[in-house]
Amino acid sequence: MINFQFVRTSVVKTALSLIGKDPKAAFIAGGTNLVDLMKRGVIAPEKLIDINHLPLKQIELKNNILHIGALVSNSALAENALVKEKFPLLMLALQAGASAQLRNVATVGGNMMQRTRCGYFYDTTMPCNKRQPGSGCGAIGGYNRMHAIFGTSESCIAVHPSDMCVGLAALDAQVVIAGAKGERKINFVDFHRLAGTTPEKDNNLQKGELILRVEIPANNLNKNFHYLKVRDRTSYAFALVSVAAALEIKDGLIANARLAMGGVAHKPWRLTASEVFLRGKPATLANCEEAAKLAMKDAKGFGENDFKLKLAPNTIIEALTIAKSKA
Amino acid sequence: MAEIDNNQSGDTRRDFLKKTSLFTALSLTPLTVLKAADNKVDERFAELFEKIPLNLKVNNKPYTLKVEPRVTLLDLLREQLHLTGTKKGCDYGQCGACTIHIDGVRVNSCLSLAVMNEGKSITTIEGLAKGDELHPMQAAFIKHDGFQCGYCTPGQIMSAVACVREGHANSKDEIREYMSGNICRCGAYPNIVDAIQEVKEGGKAI
Amino acid sequence: MEFFVDENDRVDGVDKVTGKAKYFAEYQLPGLTYGVLVTSTITKGKITAIDTKAAKNAPGVLEVLSHLNKPSVAGYEQAGGSPMKIFYTDQIFFNGQPIAIVVADTFERATFAASLVKVSYEKAAFNTNFEASIKDAAVKKLQGQPPYVRGIADAYKTAEVKVEQIYTMPVETHNPMELHGIIADWQANDKVTVYAKTQGVKSTQNTIANVFKIPAENIQVNSQFVGGGFGMALRTWPLEIAAIMASKQLKKPVKLVITRDQMFTMVGNRPAAYQKIGLGATKDGKITGITHTAFGQTATYENFTEGVVNMSKFMYDSENVNTNYYVIPLDMGVPIWMRGPGEATGAFALESAIDEMAHALDMDPLDFRAKNDPEKDPAQNRPFSSKYIKEAYKLGAAKIGWNNRKNKPGSTIEGSWNIGYGVSIGVFNAGRGRASVKGILKADGTLILQSATSDIGPGTGTGMTLIASKLMNIPVEKIVFELGDSSLPPAPSQGGSATLSTVGSAVNDVCVALKATIAELAANSNMDATSNFVDVLKKNNLPIIEKTIQSSQNNPEAKNYSMYSFSIHFVQVKVHQLTGVVKVSKIVSVGDAGKIVSPKTARSQMVGGAVGGIGMALTEEAILDNRYGRYVNNNFADYHVPVNADVPDIDVIFIDKPDPIVNPMGAKGMGEIALIGFAGAVANAVFNATGKRIRSLPITPDKVLEG
Repeated sequence: MINFQFVRTSVVKTALSLIGKDPKAAFIAGGTNLVDLMKRGVIAPEKLIDINHLPLKQIELKNNILHIGALVSNSALAENALVKEKFPLLMLALQAGASAQLRNVATVGGNMMQRTRCGYFYDTTMPCNKRQPGSGCGAIGGYNRMHAIFGTSESCIAVHPSDMCVGLAALDAQVVIAGAKGERKINFVDFHRLAGTTPEKDNNLQKGELILRVEIPANNLNKNFHYLKVRDRTSYAFALVSVAAALEIKDGLIANARLAMGGVAHKPWRLTASEVFLRGKPATLANCEEAAKLAMKDAKGFGENDFKLKLAPNTIIEALTIAKSKA
Repeated sequence: MAEIDNNQSGDTRRDFLKKTSLFTALSLTPLTVLKAADNKVDERFAELFEKIPLNLKVNNKPYTLKVEPRVTLLDLLREQLHLTGTKKGCDYGQCGACTIHIDGVRVNSCLSLAVMNEGKSITTIEGLAKGDELHPMQAAFIKHDGFQCGYCTPGQIMSAVACVREGHANSKDEIREYMSGNICRCGAYPNIVDAIQEVKEGGKAI
Repeated sequence: MEFFVDENDRVDGVDKVTGKAKYFAEYQLPGLTYGVLVTSTITKGKITAIDTKAAKNAPGVLEVLSHLNKPSVAGYEQAGGSPMKIFYTDQIFFNGQPIAIVVADTFERATFAASLVKVSYEKAAFNTNFEASIKDAAVKKLQGQPPYVRGIADAYKTAEVKVEQIYTMPVETHNPMELHGIIADWQANDKVTVYAKTQGVKSTQNTIANVFKIPAENIQVNSQFVGGGFGMALRTWPLEIAAIMASKQLKKPVKLVITRDQMFTMVGNRPAAYQKIGLGATKDGKITGITHTAFGQTATYENFTEGVVNMSKFMYDSENVNTNYYVIPLDMGVPIWMRGPGEATGAFALESAIDEMAHALDMDPLDFRAKNDPEKDPAQNRPFSSKYIKEAYKLGAAKIGWNNRKNKPGSTIEGSWNIGYGVSIGVFNAGRGRASVKGILKADGTLILQSATSDIGPGTGTGMTLIASKLMNIPVEKIVFELGDSSLPPAPSQGGSATLSTVGSAVNDVCVALKATIAELAANSNMDATSNFVDVLKKNNLPIIEKTIQSSQNNPEAKNYSMYSFSIHFVQVKVHQLTGVVKVSKIVSVGDAGKIVSPKTARSQMVGGAVGGIGMALTEEAILDNRYGRYVNNNFADYHVPVNADVPDIDVIFIDKPDPIVNPMGAKGMGEIALIGFAGAVANAVFNATGKRIRSLPITPDKVLEG
């Protein structure tokens, strides 16, 4: 690891100014992914701007919208009373990620910014268009058991590894971003990108911008919900497939449905068609199965991950079944 | 390093070298080094002088240090402070052997840059016992044989203490889940769970 | 004599829970420097150039050594031996091969400088593809063990009922929690001290003596605490020689700790295996033929073989048995024995096939095993020294609730989960080597025992202390067992479950000798023969008495017996119908390993073996991209060793009856049998739960779904 410069600030404006002036600088918050990537030589910022002291650690309900500061740790968020009561789906998603130690340090903003765990991305001697544009994709034609089945491109089939983001995508969250020209707000589902021809870009955060907070509008999805993560071991492993499912059931009919998947795409994968299908219908197994089937339209395997074409719909069905069965 | 709370910074490395107090150090060094620092090719020389002041407490003992920003808290503890109870198992946050408490919170020290811990209070395995009196978790690990080779043990114990304090030790399954960030290749897990459960049920404040 | 009933804590427990236990990398030497390896990024070929200028100019860098500028090493100057003499070859044999070492004043500086070393290569075509190589006639296969035939070869083919199947498993890596490495510190041109991670301090000493051609007694090897080995620390790896070379060159202590990803390439692995089992039986369940053909992998530059087909020769009573074992040299790092070595590989195949046969016969797999259990070793035609396997069946079956098992697969369903039960046997040679122990009785009432053995985790010191305590009637807290130091009386490496038997026998013998001396002194000084040794020493004005005994390798009777440790693993699994997730929900492991010397640590060994077995069965697979010859999951996030949440409560039962032949304690090793067979039990349980027979490890959700 190169011996980078290290500066610290507790003022957002200063942080923005620092990053704006220095193309080789990076923000560091928890560092649980950044330090890892630096150790392996995947990235080599020449300056780190420590943003841990920025005042972005609040969780508060304002006008029925939950505001979550970008520096709130994953564990603080999962343990927060408001989250447990109003957005328990998010709590489950958070608890499914990483380990207790990592969740204590990893932040909301950092979790959104984490890079893929594709082995070719991490090994600097192998081809990877995300790490080194134009070098090729090692996973296509190689080891792709963990890789994407939705929204893939010829240049990259990596998946976004976060669980928290799958929950936030399902909850219609929004992201508030600060830049040199002021603040902007985008839908969470538009934060991350598909790889397309520019897999080096994981998301739509522009150079010089900073995530300030995430906002979740109130909903009635705190009764029938589940986050189901299928992985190779019981804990502390990335998802083969994960599903965030939440239903609002009124008078025996689904008034509102939210479904998002992890481990299947370059971004948290929202299942809009399945949600539309479920709305107004009873939560029967047959309807869950039909929703799962709809979700799989346009799915494509790459050999070793073909099993996800079966696992993904099955996981949707199981997540919906558990969600609807909650009293 | 500077605590920057205004808009003045964003200098290049060379500007930084010249401007900061490190300049004093440079003025005492041979001209070649200065030249090298000014010369893009051998800018690496500059690194010799880029240590940052760091104040922290480890096991209640205050330390005033100067460290390179790239030094992790784990390597600082092991290689500079010679507190080798904290172990390096993977160095990538994937095994938990390096688990310590920072201001009471369990953390993988391998992914924490030392300089990010200015003013923090660190507890390592060496700081858990009170003199010769073992911490109840240490005693329970011995009683239940919660280890074999012992290498993951300090991390397991630090994690276990936090697990109980966090309130995540209410059932065997909860302990298993909340201790899954600590890998034990010898496979002492069931004994570790027994040890934690006993401490939890013992009800003592730990 | 009533041996060993205490539930004693580990003698080094306090050191381990307080962080005081010092592992090799934790010795603080004045002027310590740090080595970091540069490794090859091609799989085969030749180094054409190494540009070290930038690295050498980097701050704090003291030296960059490679084959271009290495110091002369006498043992490597000679022709012959392994071609992988580190820094003595420009050849690349595998991807990730160490090719240079950068030494700097700090770890961070050495690591950064290593990234600046630029290497040019001339690439050659290579082959790392194990599975393709089996079918490819152009790929060389070496006989790994002479072909074995008893009775008629391939007799299963004409049996009334036959099973013929292929079982595969991938490369597994030992991955002990402690990273490998060494600290080397030369005191003179022919004198060196090393702090090593080794399962054998004498073996490390001998290797260094051979390589550097200096007298063994000039080499001090310290290895008091070892953070796990599982076989990977049974030899001195080239990277250790690199650090010792660098230290010699620099005349400074050099510490080298490799990275987790390097643990996948340069310190061995459990090789992948492809096994074909043919089983024949009569309709009423008598085995009439066993054919076991196995392929393993080895390296191009060194050969490695193990006992993959051993168990098939004697575990079941069959007139006709034939085995064959081949190894395929691949352009990968050489494997090394991993816990339960080849036997664990073989047991998965054989015990799966046994289960398949029981199913084909519609028999309970336990009844089928019992029916074919041999009275004596059919391969050697001699009795077993002790074997209580049928008793073990009964105890284990009762404990797990085997009567809840339905013979028809897929019969037990709880919600979204199918429940199944499986069983499998493990067996491993109960070896006993030769070791020396020095015993020092002191007038202050303490006993010091010394032997150059190791403890990689099983609790060697604890076991030895208990043996001595019982024999000498001295409380354990007054006994110190010293190990991990090459200057102590010699003992073999810790491997093959033989330490307790080997070193324990020597402890026994030295205690017997000390007691005889005390009795003699007592008699000579007109004391009662049963006098306390402290009184006897005081009466004779002796501060200490000491004895060093080299224990014999065997009881003379041993040649008339086959000596094995046995285990039976029972598991209950839950298999999720929609996701294919397998959870091991109950485990009962029964150990038939003679008398149990140290019940608490013995139980832990069995528990640890079961946990390793869960990994082998469900999660562990080192995945290599054959296009590049590089591992793509070389880390703990992607190479899945079991975590706490994967492991249920584990019941361990010991038969706990002494083996009358093997050694004075009647105790046999159990490190290997704790793991051997476990994966088969899981695979069999998955079949019982679902009707899906997974013949390829690990049994991941995708295989269950598609199976």
